[in-house]
Amino acid sequence: MHHGTQVNDEIILSVEHLKKRIGKRWIVQDVSFEVRAGEIFGFLGPNGAGKTTTIRMLVDLIRPTEGQVSICGYDVQKQPELALGLVGSIVENPEVYTYLTGWENLEQFARMMPGIDAGRLQEVVDLVGLDQRIHDRVRTYSLGMRQRLGIAQALLGRPKLLILDEPTNGLDPKGIKEMRSFIRRLAKEGLAVFVSSHLLSEIQVLCDRVAIISRGRVLAVGAVNELIDTSKGYVVWELEPSSAGEEMLQELGISIIRNADEVLDDAIIAGFGSRAIVTQMQADAVADIVPRLVNSGLQVRSVQKIIPTLEQLFLEMTDGEGVE
Amino acid sequence: MNKSSRIWRITGLLSAVSTLLLILGFLYAVYDMTVPANQASKAKPETGVQMSVAAAAPYDLTAIGDSLAKGTGDDTGKGFARRTVELLTKKDKESQLINNLGINGLTTKALLPMLDESGVQYGLKQAGIIILSIGGNDLFAGAHGYKNSGELPSAAEMDAAVAASGENFKQIVKKLREINPDAQLVYVGLYNPFADLKDMREAGDRAVAHWNTNVLDTMNQYQGTIVVPTYDLFTNNLDRYLSGDHFHPNGEGYQMIAERIVQSIALN
Amino acid sequence: MVKALNSLLLLVKNETIKMIKKKRFYVVLLVLIVLVPMFAYAQMRESTTKREKFGADWRREVQQAITDNQNSLGSDRVPEEWKKYRKIYIEQMKYYLEHDVNPIQSGGVTFTREFLNNASTLFIPLLIMGVASDIVSSERTAGTIKMLLTRPVRRWKILLSKLITLIMFVSLIIVSTLLVCYLVSGLFFGYGGFQLPVFSGFQLNGSEVDMSNVHAVPQWKYICMQAGLIWFVGITVAMLAFMVSVLVRSTSASIVIMMAALIAGTILSNMASAWTSAKYLFMVNLGLTNYLSGTPAPIEGMTLGFSLAVLAVWAACSTIVSFLVFTKQDILN
Repeated sequence: MHHGTQVNDEIILSVEHLKKRIGKRWIVQDVSFEVRAGEIFGFLGPNGAGKTTTIRMLVDLIRPTEGQVSICGYDVQKQPELALGLVGSIVENPEVYTYLTGWENLEQFARMMPGIDAGRLQEVVDLVGLDQRIHDRVRTYSLGMRQRLGIAQALLGRPKLLILDEPTNGLDPKGIKEMRSFIRRLAKEGLAVFVSSHLLSEIQVLCDRVAIISRGRVLAVGAVNELIDTSKGYVVWELEPSSAGEEMLQELGISIIRNADEVLDDAIIAGFGSRAIVTQMQADAVADIVPRLVNSGLQVRSVQKIIPTLEQLFLEMTDGEGVE
Repeated sequence: MNKSSRIWRITGLLSAVSTLLLILGFLYAVYDMTVPANQASKAKPETGVQMSVAAAAPYDLTAIGDSLAKGTGDDTGKGFARRTVELLTKKDKESQLINNLGINGLTTKALLPMLDESGVQYGLKQAGIIILSIGGNDLFAGAHGYKNSGELPSAAEMDAAVAASGENFKQIVKKLREINPDAQLVYVGLYNPFADLKDMREAGDRAVAHWNTNVLDTMNQYQGTIVVPTYDLFTNNLDRYLSGDHFHPNGEGYQMIAERIVQSIALN
Repeated sequence: MVKALNSLLLLVKNETIKMIKKKRFYVVLLVLIVLVPMFAYAQMRESTTKREKFGADWRREVQQAITDNQNSLGSDRVPEEWKKYRKIYIEQMKYYLEHDVNPIQSGGVTFTREFLNNASTLFIPLLIMGVASDIVSSERTAGTIKMLLTRPVRRWKILLSKLITLIMFVSLIIVSTLLVCYLVSGLFFGYGGFQLPVFSGFQLNGSEVDMSNVHAVPQWKYICMQAGLIWFVGITVAMLAFMVSVLVRSTSASIVIMMAALIAGTILSNMASAWTSAKYLFMVNLGLTNYLSGTPAPIEGMTLGFSLAVLAVWAACSTIVSFLVFTKQDILN
């Protein structure tokens, strides 16, 4: 996905060899990555992979056993006042004081950092579109409104880095859409955004770069597109007659996928005709194959290239460990 | 100013003032308790304050002395003091119990300093009738425990006790007259609680008689004094009038004493 | 320096607003407003029955109390422990009579004094606990601790602001108890009695009552001293509850722990004596006002200085533990 954001080279968040042991268990074994200004960085992994622990180490809720987190060059451990001043975050759910109003909550947070006046409060309230209900008790808010209040508090201190833990969790489709475009807008303005998710589609739709984590280790870090290109894609053929076409493809040395429903998303499979042939091959080769099929007297009804999902990437990287 | 700031200002101010006051109170308390009173310029309370005493009503009653005055042995807890008040009330005399100052085990020696206490004096001054019961513990010292130990006072011990306690008794009566010269002073005479014990009958009788004679001599020196005899009541009726401890009267015994008191005091 | 102080003050402001908005303090006030009239009414009924016996004559009433207690001193059925209390009580009452001062004069101020005397070991600590047990653990239960600790503020500052707020509310609770007590009991007994003298300084020396230090204190001053001592007790209890609140994640668990400790204290104070090492426990040292009134301490060897030291050590240790744990703790949930 290209968002046309101006990713510059300024490194906002740098994580080096982060490790965390709780009791005898290494929850996080070795995590390193960098997040630059203006990019949306995805942090992808199944539940229990060490995502939340890593995020908590980013914001000083958990102290790392080893390794270092720095934000704009400030070590989170050693200079938390400076480092955390540059971060806005929502860790897990946006938990705020339900017995206070939205505005009073923001006032609470404003008093904890320098230079935030009522004007700035109003600014972030307008930004997240909560101005109608901001003076009501948070107890009466819907989850979506709490999420927005959470974002408002995260943005309050004009951060350089925004850390969002599963930001679309629990939102309805409209809310998810709004949240995504909102995040993109923030990134466009130069904010570095760190988004964690266990939903690969979420990352695929939203992020520029991604780190994939499993069992406390980072498996890969890279641009989402690059990661997709390294993977062999799928091509779905509809040929007439179908059986002859399948033989022909096999003769050409192309691997036919029989268990398509196991490797492809159900939604994609549903779009095929009943006699579709799923193959795994480089998409570039299609141009060579089509004339041969036609020359053999086969009718080519349709050829469809399927972009691999991150689920597939993940399966390839972990040799079938699976997500969730 | 918005609401949050108002909450903060009010709470902050009130709590700061409270904290300050409490700290001062704490420091003062520590100072007050650790620096000895004579070093600090602390107000030593005046002593010997004279209490103003209302005029005593003629039938208001204060009992003073030993367990008999207290009413020990009476299941109803009334003793002769309350029973006397009841009897007087029945005779349409306005009467109430001011104080029952009877203390179990009190001897003449212990009663003497008690009479200097201002509270005791106050109770006595308020009374029109003072009933005194004392001496039993002097004579039968340790006899309370006779059921347990089986030891009874010897005749010689009792004779010595009569002599020594007689002096105390004189002073007690003198003091009582000084404290309240207008009240009728009623002394409840001693009986011999051991009259049914072969070993004790004679010695006990002699000591009691001796004591009672002394008492009469002392009391007769003052106006408005009465000695109410009880020896004759109990001596042949110990089973009837003594309580389970074989020393104190039971309810019926107290009732008999109360009746005698009412019979002997001046009614007008 | 000024800037640091100012930022700390803003944190305290935050905590104060939360405390008020959470309505914890209102609950305390409500408890007082409901309970104090009950106590006052009970007290009124008691003095009415006494009045029927003794008329309006307090001197007779006091003298009778002395005699009754003297009688119990001679009884073998009364435990030696209790005799100690009664002995001092007798001497005190005699002293009052001697100086013609009414120790039982009913009035709003006297009621307040009596109430404070009885409330210092359990009632007020319980009220304080209700506020203190919640102050850290509620943030953990609600998950707001994450919001609190991801701010650009050092953790010790956040904890310190909570501690300061707690101390503020301890003071407020004690002063409100005093005020509610006075205002409510005044309805029953009248509002006078500030200048009434109270005798303080009775000490038990072996089996003798030492009266060399006895002196008169006007009742208002006496109440100030009581309140000050209770404040010290309150701070200690608050700091202990604070530590428990840091160590235990759930508010209810921390309330249960503190309540058990306090009630154990009252039980121990009543049994006590044989196990003398119990005097080093904080719970048996909460009755500081007893030193003022002259009531003997539950365990041999306890003095005001001793109790203050024991409480101070407990308070200091729990504060240190609170800060060490809180600043190092991983927030895992």
